[in-house]
Amino acid sequence: MISERSLGLVLLEMTLLVLLSPLVTGIIQKLKARLQCRQGASIFQPYRDLIKLFCKGTVQADTTSGFFRWIPVLVLAATVAAGALVPVVHAGPAVFPFGDALMLLGLLALARFLTAIGALDAGGAFGGMGASREMTIAPLVEPVLMMVVFSTALAARTTDLGALAAHRGTSWIFAWRAADFLGFAAMLVLLPAETGRIPVDNPDTHLELTMLHEGMLLEHSGPGLGCMILASHTRQIVSLTFVSALFFPIGPVAGADAIGLLLGAGAFAAKILVLALYLALVESSYAKLRFFRVPQYLGVGFVCAIMALALRIL
Amino acid sequence: MLLMAACFGAGAISSPLARWSGRLALGVGHLAALAGAMVGFGVSLGVLLGPPGLTLIQPLPAIFPFARLSLSVDGLSAYFLLVISLVGVAAAFYGPAYLRTHSPDAGAARQGAQVLALNVFLGCMAFVCCAGDALTFLLCWEGMTLASYVLVVSDDTDGENARAGLLYMVMAHGGTALLLVAFLTLTERAGAFDFAALRAAAVGLDSATRTTLFFLALGGFATKAGVVPLHVWLPRAHPAAPSHVSALMSGVMLKVAIYGILRFAFDLLAPVTGPAPFSWGWTVLFVGTISAVLGVLYALQQHDLKRLLAFHSVENVGIILIGIGLAMILWRREGVSGALATVALTAALLHTVNHAAFKGLLFLGAGSVLCRTHVRNMEELGGLARRMPWTAGLFLLGAVAISALPPLNGFVSEWLTFQALLGGADCFHGPAGLSIVLSAAMLALTGGLAAACFAKAFGVTFLGRPRTPHAEHAKEAPPSMIAGMVWLAALCVLLGVAPGYVMRLLDAPTIGLLHEAGASAVVTARGPLVLSTALTESGVDATAISMTMMAALLVALAAIAWVLRHGFRGNSLRTAPTWTCGMSPTARFDYTATAFAKPLRLVFAALYRPRREVIKETAGTPYVLRRMKYAGEVVDFAETHIYHRIQYGVTRLSRILRLRSTGRIHGYIGFVLAALFIALLLFGVRHP
Repeated sequence: MISERSLGLVLLEMTLLVLLSPLVTGIIQKLKARLQCRQGASIFQPYRDLIKLFCKGTVQADTTSGFFRWIPVLVLAATVAAGALVPVVHAGPAVFPFGDALMLLGLLALARFLTAIGALDAGGAFGGMGASREMTIAPLVEPVLMMVVFSTALAARTTDLGALAAHRGTSWIFAWRAADFLGFAAMLVLLPAETGRIPVDNPDTHLELTMLHEGMLLEHSGPGLGCMILASHTRQIVSLTFVSALFFPIGPVAGADAIGLLLGAGAFAAKILVLALYLALVESSYAKLRFFRVPQYLGVGFVCAIMALALRIL
Repeated sequence: MLLMAACFGAGAISSPLARWSGRLALGVGHLAALAGAMVGFGVSLGVLLGPPGLTLIQPLPAIFPFARLSLSVDGLSAYFLLVISLVGVAAAFYGPAYLRTHSPDAGAARQGAQVLALNVFLGCMAFVCCAGDALTFLLCWEGMTLASYVLVVSDDTDGENARAGLLYMVMAHGGTALLLVAFLTLTERAGAFDFAALRAAAVGLDSATRTTLFFLALGGFATKAGVVPLHVWLPRAHPAAPSHVSALMSGVMLKVAIYGILRFAFDLLAPVTGPAPFSWGWTVLFVGTISAVLGVLYALQQHDLKRLLAFHSVENVGIILIGIGLAMILWRREGVSGALATVALTAALLHTVNHAAFKGLLFLGAGSVLCRTHVRNMEELGGLARRMPWTAGLFLLGAVAISALPPLNGFVSEWLTFQALLGGADCFHGPAGLSIVLSAAMLALTGGLAAACFAKAFGVTFLGRPRTPHAEHAKEAPPSMIAGMVWLAALCVLLGVAPGYVMRLLDAPTIGLLHEAGASAVVTARGPLVLSTALTESGVDATAISMTMMAALLVALAAIAWVLRHGFRGNSLRTAPTWTCGMSPTARFDYTATAFAKPLRLVFAALYRPRREVIKETAGTPYVLRRMKYAGEVVDFAETHIYHRIQYGVTRLSRILRLRSTGRIHGYIGFVLAALFIALLLFGVRHP
């Protein structure tokens, strides 16, 4: 059943993820607008925004250092490289392994670290505030994500995402055990934090009291800002794919022939849509939490994750 | 080959003869240190790449009539000698220019003393690792402590350093006392000092004695390694030394203690068959986890750049101990594959060299900042990236490496540690397995917090606007100092991007200690480009990563992104002031280190118990503020809860004793006689 993914397929999947990532954001925005009884912009709006940004010139703060120009480049590269690690249309370990789940979390952390560095570079209070808050939330989210990964990895005895997905197989939700349900619950709690959405962060606002991630982007402009925004779209789709690879690899286990790949792609689209709907529902039905309430919110995820681990081992 | 290593010591000690000229002494002394480090490098590579089981033995002249002294370099010794040499080379490059620019008006005598102490320090560290008998080990251990003490108190002439040195001295000698007991118990049974005899004597020990001896040695070495709660001297003493010595103390001296733990646990005291006693590994794993988490949490609240780095050493020693503890738990345990213990030990050893590389780099970077600004407090720095671009870039590299972010070396060893922890958890069911996984979760927390801490340290020190004239007028460090940093940065990149090629060097120590398959056979089973660990016996579901391929992918993607970054229509670049809501931007708009770490201080307030004091001076009504003063502080938990209580107890005891100190000589003679009488009653009447 386990067949390996070739290098070409891995790179193709990565490109697919990057190209589709603004669409997912567009769909979430559209769903949110509909849930709030608004017409909403077209689902292709994020593409138009990106093209507009890439055609613009750059305005750079006069206090920035030489690193500032490199930050968007490196953030985008690290985030897109994380996309090479998740199975999209087909499960199984890659023929030539780039990395595993820990590497994926590491690359996302690298992108976040560099974003925070870029935010501090301009020397404005907003950047510092965003960086400080983001770097407060990140160390609380990461261990819990790792624990969810561990709870599935202990069953499959590997942390390679392709192999994890292949291990779970087509057995769908009926084969889930209590640990899986708890792990998934933890993941649902963490998903808004990881994608920077309400109730942890608010992607639509530039109000200084509520923003985390947006505050760090304030001083970027033009193509640099375009890179940062593309990176955050990519981060979102990678996180969603990561969840589906851990818990619902229903599509990607099909055969490696053309029909299998098409089936996998269809299943992938369905899964991403469901998760996007979840995010839109959460965003529309909750208010953003006060910043110092967020650790308590993440604590719920922590308790779920630790219970999942305990059930898996004991 | 060992004779060459001996010439290192000779060259080192002869160097302060050039004392009549401070400048010459600096040059010659550091050249000797460089030569010594290169020789050590050659010796260690010779042993590590030589035939398996190769041990170089070199008898030393018989100074003492009762003991034969010797040096013996086996795989483990050679590996630690390699770590010492790598950082030693960088320190030798960096030292002369640093000492000259940091304290240009220092007298030749002080410089001569510093050079002498540096060489003795390096030599003693090398010989502790190469010692073939207990006496050489203890003598060099003591020499290492004394030389580093001299260096700690040598830098400035203020009372702070002297106090730090005194605390260091007391703690280090407490540790040495424990070591002495452990060694002397063994030598008494063996009737000789050399390690082979000690090993033979340890075979006959019963398990209780063995465990007692192990914990004595662990206590002694843990004091030197800065394991919580024995770490209180470390954040004071390390920053006080000149920066290249701080790099050596943090990067290397702590590793000598790690060497001692490994030597005792897997070699001298290890049971001949069967696993090590249950309590050993779990204790080491537990204290390692606690050290890792507490080290990074306290580092987050430090605003002194070098002190922050020193707390990170506590953290990283904890990570190394997690690997070692896990290896002890898994080694020869029933139903556990031998390869898993090898993975755990490989992770620990790899983190040893990795930490030496990035911590050395960061301390040297902090030293460059210090020698150009004479300020260690981050709040008074800022904007240095424009003024010292090389230092800033290299410091950033070190920061990424220490935060365990790919594609640099910190990630590789933490990845291996995670894999070993997961494999270990799979072997033990029940609470044991759960605590291993929780240890892994704590390690993940440590990584995240380290990233936050270094975002703060780098951002506040190097980015934004300069906050004081010290930072405003900083210049780039001299080229020889940058050369030292580039050497360590190159190591970080090499160990991160091509770790598979380094595994060959880890074969000798892992095979020598565990007598299982070597590191390269386990970890690089699929060729040097891929690191893989098999959590199962069959190895089908092995987890594999390729740091090399990931680095190549990152570079390729960065190239594509660079093209994107330049935009579709040319690249018009305009500079403008930072947006500060319409006010004219000054350095006071920059986020400070205290502010940056404030959210985490509140989240972990239960642990930190921060002290906060706000004094307001109002003009009649509370709405008009004349002046406001804020003071905040986070004090080390161990310090307040353990050491202050000990201090309180000792003070009370001495007060009580003072009541009996009447000053009359007859009274004292009476006490002496009474003590003698009691001693005779207790110990003297056994022989009839």
